[in-house]
Amino acid sequence: MAQEKRDVEINSIQDSLDMLTPEIRPWPVTPPPSAEEVSTQVYTKRKAEDFLGWVEDNVKFEKSFGKAEALAGLKVLDIGLWRLGHKFAASMLAEAGAEVVCIEPPGGDPLRQLTPFGREEYMLADQETGEKCGIEFIAEMVNQYAITLDVDTEEGQQVFRELAANADVVIEALPPGYADERGIGYRHLKDLNPGLIYAWTGIRGQWGPDKDRLSKHGQWEIEPFACASNAWIHSTGYPQDQLPRGKGGDPTRAGVWIADYVAGEQVAVNIMAALYWREEFSGEGQFIEVTGAEALMDITDFDMTWYGFNKSIKARTGAWDPNLNQYEWNPCKDGYMMIGGQSDRLWYRIGMCIERDYPQFGRLIHEDPYLKEMGARNALHALIKTYTLTTRWLRDINRVQAEEALLEYEIAAGPVLFVDEVCEFPHFKYRPWIYNCESDYGTFLYPTSPNAYQFDTPHRLKWVGRRLGKDNGEIYSKWVGYGPTRLAELKTEGVI
Amino acid sequence: MCDVIWCKKEVDGSPCETVNYLDPFCFWNWEGTINCAECRTVYYIHMIQGHMYKGPEERPGEEPDTSPLYADKPLEGYRNYMFATEGRTRPFECMPRSFLLGEADMVKFSIRGKPVRGWRPQPESAGIAGSFPYHWDIQNLSPDVWEEYQEKIRKGEVSDW
Amino acid sequence: MSKKKDPRVTRIEDLAGPKSPGELEEMKMPYEEYCRQAFDPGNEAKKPESLKGIRWLSCTMYIFTPHSAANLAELGAEVIKIEIPRMGDAMRHTSPFNEAYLYPLHESRPMTGTGLGFTNANINELYLTMDYHIPEMVDVFYGLVKMSDGLTELYRPGTLDKWKMSYKYLQEINPRFIYVWGGGFGYGPKVFGGSYDILGQAHAGLASITGMHEYMGGHATKCTNWVIDWASGTIITYGVLAAIHWRRKTGLGTMLEVSQVQTPTRFMGYSVPLYGRFGIVRQRWGNWDTQLCAHGIILCGKSDYPDADNPQEKFDARYVMVSAFNDPDFQELCSVIGRKDLWDNYPRHKQRLEAEAQIEVYDALEQWAADKTRTEVSDALNNAGILAYNVKNHREVYESEHLRQRGTIRWLDDPLFGDLLTHCTYSTGLMSKSPRRLKWQWRPVGADNVKIYRDMLGIPVSQVEDWYEKAWI
Repeated sequence: MAQEKRDVEINSIQDSLDMLTPEIRPWPVTPPPSAEEVSTQVYTKRKAEDFLGWVEDNVKFEKSFGKAEALAGLKVLDIGLWRLGHKFAASMLAEAGAEVVCIEPPGGDPLRQLTPFGREEYMLADQETGEKCGIEFIAEMVNQYAITLDVDTEEGQQVFRELAANADVVIEALPPGYADERGIGYRHLKDLNPGLIYAWTGIRGQWGPDKDRLSKHGQWEIEPFACASNAWIHSTGYPQDQLPRGKGGDPTRAGVWIADYVAGEQVAVNIMAALYWREEFSGEGQFIEVTGAEALMDITDFDMTWYGFNKSIKARTGAWDPNLNQYEWNPCKDGYMMIGGQSDRLWYRIGMCIERDYPQFGRLIHEDPYLKEMGARNALHALIKTYTLTTRWLRDINRVQAEEALLEYEIAAGPVLFVDEVCEFPHFKYRPWIYNCESDYGTFLYPTSPNAYQFDTPHRLKWVGRRLGKDNGEIYSKWVGYGPTRLAELKTEGVI
Repeated sequence: MCDVIWCKKEVDGSPCETVNYLDPFCFWNWEGTINCAECRTVYYIHMIQGHMYKGPEERPGEEPDTSPLYADKPLEGYRNYMFATEGRTRPFECMPRSFLLGEADMVKFSIRGKPVRGWRPQPESAGIAGSFPYHWDIQNLSPDVWEEYQEKIRKGEVSDW
Repeated sequence: MSKKKDPRVTRIEDLAGPKSPGELEEMKMPYEEYCRQAFDPGNEAKKPESLKGIRWLSCTMYIFTPHSAANLAELGAEVIKIEIPRMGDAMRHTSPFNEAYLYPLHESRPMTGTGLGFTNANINELYLTMDYHIPEMVDVFYGLVKMSDGLTELYRPGTLDKWKMSYKYLQEINPRFIYVWGGGFGYGPKVFGGSYDILGQAHAGLASITGMHEYMGGHATKCTNWVIDWASGTIITYGVLAAIHWRRKTGLGTMLEVSQVQTPTRFMGYSVPLYGRFGIVRQRWGNWDTQLCAHGIILCGKSDYPDADNPQEKFDARYVMVSAFNDPDFQELCSVIGRKDLWDNYPRHKQRLEAEAQIEVYDALEQWAADKTRTEVSDALNNAGILAYNVKNHREVYESEHLRQRGTIRWLDDPLFGDLLTHCTYSTGLMSKSPRRLKWQWRPVGADNVKIYRDMLGIPVSQVEDWYEKAWI
């Protein structure tokens, strides 16, 4: 395709904005390899073309839309503001086929207004109405219907009860006791709908001496509060011995609101378990509570068990893992390179690979009697020595060279990729792990659900976020039988 | 010589032959003076993107800005200097305790004083084909530890938390 | 929709409020008390298990795939972990700085322990050993498949297929079977690339947006723990439970192909769509937030425990999470730290969210905190009604009354290994009627060989012993 060329002078972001569209700067920049190429150039190398051909025939992403949906018919209500945990759980259920309705107050979830560094130019406009919305909100509302309801009004509470009487699942992410005070909490709804599975999710809990708080002015706690309260931040980041404190050598939060995602997926798992128990055994719903602080604590490896063993407080170790050698990333010529291989078989193979270019590595590492035993290699001084010499090799080569060299030795190795590189990585484009969907807000590049590759019931993305209240008509009609006149009344009263 | 300083300084008529490891995140971009862990010779180095742009140049008489974290001597069976060896290597503060063992910690009791199977060797207790029961018969298998536990209870060294 | 009422009749169910003395008590109860009673931490064992009767095979190693099966075991499924004879899961040989092990690893290895790296990834499971390579084992394996609901495996592509143990074969034996192949990359050009948690963090972009910005002196930072391994494992569990739900209707199993490296990209919020639309490549932003200000972690001048022996307390009890992004909160914050000029300069959220403004705001906060301890800072802010929270360490987590009351930190009297502090299972979520529970942490390699080979599959003990001698099991 011929590309038009023109000269552009860029003095501010404004000068480049109209060029930053997918039409002018398409994704992907280069096409992924074809199935034919992958089969003949990759799969045949290890005589796996038959098996992988069979896998591709059956689980390929492109075939997912013709298949059944695992949770078809499941009705889910999601109510909450500000955070991503409940939204991620709701998205997971919706990706598997549930009918998920997201309830916002008539003013909308404040998350709709959030945009990186306050840049309104990075918000997207609804193609019908032009209403602007932040990208994070759109991204975390997969396959969900958007309706409005003010549960602070008595009428709104009644409407909520009617919706919930019809639902299989309610996901709630309001401050502790907020729904209960309004007569729409679990203890009220369970009588209306004994089969209802009701899941609350938040930061530290809706009960207990350190439960979730609001500020004096009503501001919510948002991630990373959860990560601060379970020692996760305490042990993330570079030690002050590697980088000066205040200049990179500090406890560090994740770049994303990670506890929200971790809690969200456990909300979805617990809901599915409760659903199985309801359908298989009891016919009864139940009450679930998942917090970011605790769900993330669940997956902090052995940390607390180690404290109970000999009062160890896990220290941060930067990009090095204290349990395995090698298992780290270190700087290289054009970024950072991750290398992993702990067992003797893999560890010596890494050495053989590096030795080819840098013979001294083999001498200093493989001859050292203190590095011969797998467990002993995890001692701190062994990490310092191994990684210093590994980096001595890496500094002369870039990520792609390191990856190619190490893959030749069947070592798990990978570059630290930036977002553009992630989106252009051939493997990711091939599956595809990211792809463009045509949304209400125009072309929207999206990471695929990891459960999208299945024989029979792959999870899938059908649409992303919608404008505020877009589905009021459809959902109120289907779920509770309200017609246009009734909706108009509710709108006038400010209930929806 | 980069990323490591292989010190060849003549000391008492023979070269020092100590490898000082310059850990990558600290020294990736760095300028200053550093001592050899063995002979304490001070070197000036200027590292840019992991490459030694200048140095190592000897700076006799100067105090070093820093020290390596670890150094060893390949010609002497890899005799080594661990971190935090005073005057030779840099301390490493960011640790889970004030000391590291680097080898298995033999633990018989948890921090609240109850028995935990954290020591070796354990007496044989398996059945057929490596099967184990669902019960640690500590009284019979490790009566000494059980006795020690009773003693701890008597002394009030066992608590709920 | 509420049913049409007969206006002449007053039925008790139509009246608002409780319908019996018991319900009256329940409705009068303060909400916190109600929650506490509903979840009743510590009494999980007295309640039914959600996944009673499900049996799952865990042909797994490391953290990612084991966790996907352990989630099922926590919820009441019977999970059989199949390991390499004598050696077991590679994860058993990992321990922080080589220091913490529980003994023994295996009957024949009294001097080798299982490292704490194995913790939490395989709880409540039965431990079987089997060498799949041995032709005699294939039929035994098929026996397990016929008696089970599904399997999770992580072998290199085609490995189990070579031994006729892939879904291609197993669906013939058991059409209800649900098969999970959890790999690093899955089909595609990098299908043979191995993977680890840290590789996922690096490769999928999470590392590129975590850590201090270059101008702050930082590098791409690894999220602590094997967080992506665990989180991807839970994604599998969810896929499995959805498939089980579908199977209840259709009687048919399925195969899932799940890639661990993909998960972190899905966790990155606006990053990918922002790139797709505008070509903007999200960068690291350290301890601050790209969408809220003030909402970040600050360094205080003094430690809370300057005399502590443990360096983690002595040097690092210095960080506070501070959050005041709404206008009134930010105004209050500026007044507490004596910098009303900041409020005058940045009265709108959009203004204080600009990068330059953030730098100014957090600098001002750290200057104000320079002569204070962590707790002095958080107390001063909390007393003013602003949200602030100490960045806690593991001792503080252990001593948290909140987590103790909720049962999410508790001691386990492990049947085989004794007294273990535990932070898993209960912490994944409280459930009022069919909660998760922790029965045991792990068992030695092959600890349930007789229980499964003889008691379940009916193989004579002499045969089992013979296989054991040959190291087939």
